[in-house]
Amino acid sequence: MKYALLIYSDQSSWEGLDEEEAARRRAESMPRWIALFEEMGKADPGAEGRELVAASEAKVVRVVDGERVVTDGPFAETKEQIGGLFMTDLSDLDEAIRIASLVPAAEYGSLEIRPIVTQ
Amino acid sequence: MTPTLEETFREEWPRAVAILTRVLGDLSLAEDAVQDAFTRALERWPRDGTPRAPGAWILTTARNGAIDRIRREKTFARKAELLARLDEIPDEEDGDVSSIPDERLALLFTCCHPALAVEARVALTLREVGGLATPEIARAFLVSERTLAQRLVRAKRRVRDTGIPFRVPPDHLLPERVPDVLRVIYLVFNEGYAATSGDALVRRELCAEAVRLAKLLCVLMPDEPEAFGLLALLLLQDSRRDARIGADGELVLLADQDRSRWDRAAIDEGLRMLTRAEALRRPGPYQLQAAIAAGHAEGSDPAVIADVYAALERIDPSPVVRLNRAVAVALAGDVEQGLELVDSIEGLEGYSYLHAARADLLRRLGRFDEASASYRQALALTDNAPERRFFERRLRELETERL
Repeated sequence: MKYALLIYSDQSSWEGLDEEEAARRRAESMPRWIALFEEMGKADPGAEGRELVAASEAKVVRVVDGERVVTDGPFAETKEQIGGLFMTDLSDLDEAIRIASLVPAAEYGSLEIRPIVTQ
Repeated sequence: MTPTLEETFREEWPRAVAILTRVLGDLSLAEDAVQDAFTRALERWPRDGTPRAPGAWILTTARNGAIDRIRREKTFARKAELLARLDEIPDEEDGDVSSIPDERLALLFTCCHPALAVEARVALTLREVGGLATPEIARAFLVSERTLAQRLVRAKRRVRDTGIPFRVPPDHLLPERVPDVLRVIYLVFNEGYAATSGDALVRRELCAEAVRLAKLLCVLMPDEPEAFGLLALLLLQDSRRDARIGADGELVLLADQDRSRWDRAAIDEGLRMLTRAEALRRPGPYQLQAAIAAGHAEGSDPAVIADVYAALERIDPSPVVRLNRAVAVALAGDVEQGLELVDSIEGLEGYSYLHAARADLLRRLGRFDEASASYRQALALTDNAPERRFFERRLRELETERL
């Protein structure tokens, strides 16, 4: 089964940090990311992951009555925004849940598991 | 004794659905094919006689039905793949199926998967593992057949679309997944035992079905003490079914029940199952609840029963357990402490039994005005006719006691 694992977190918690603190936090979680990549590589060697630029940089496009409307910022005014995603091919939902729970962001944000329509 | 047609159906349904689900990897397709086979059996068996090996007949007929359904599939690749998988099942109606493994446990775990809504798990388990027909389940849960059919369709779609696995979870996942299965079976029983309305006969069948499912789980997981604990609990509770409703249809409390109306055979079987569970030396919440029920059945010292409740509360610190412990403490003689415990419970304000239990303790302490107020609160919270009659009678008795 193909699954998208969407990583949600509150990106504003990073905004006020100075460079040093942000670097320290990244370094701290690094071993867990490496452990995740190792497990994910075993479960699905073809898995792909992408980090997204901050949601504050997003552009939102709508077409209203044939008129193009472009606005700044994320689409929804929620605290948690998508910060990245994985595209995976895993045996079943239990395996997707196991892998998702290994993503470090699951501890300060949340992981959404979305099966991908294949037919 | 030869099993009746219905018994054969109920036995063979989950076996066939489970095997075909594993082979085809598709619960809906498996169920449809098995349904076709049973429809055919209903036409043939009464006329031609029950086949020598009914299970093999059903499986092969379902296999052939599945082939017809697969032929309608759109893509050639999928068609070819599904047809190849069916080679495993014999195409002769009296072929040998003994080498095909029993997949009912995997089916049970799939139906009780935590990714499904609880009501969907219950409906799916009754349908696929219990082999109950949709109208029967709808009647038991007081919903329309249409609603229940939709619930089942949605559940099966979710199993397919989200990739809920068809398998017994690996050992390291069992401690978190077995309780899900136990809970679904317990919910089926409870719906039949403590439901707030509905037809008595339908409810009795629901309890019997829960006992059947618990027995099946014991057969499939003979080393799981909580499976035996659950079975013991259900048997012991069910043994008091007749005694808990009085001649006028009102609720009779345990202490006031006519013990000659308890089902002795069910009690004995429950006690045997509890002994088996305890021999595995891994206690759990269902075993403790069964131990409490056994204590009541055998007339144990109320103080001992209160202690088991305390042990239960340590592993399951829920408000309902605390309420039961409070009642047990009061029964053991310490009414004041029982009341204190009841008043320390949070989150059960809408539960009629909490107010009824409180009322009873207040009455025993001679605080009649407060007791009346609590019975009125209990009355306001239930539509169940026997319960209402019981609370009303208690209220009237209070009025006379005060004079």
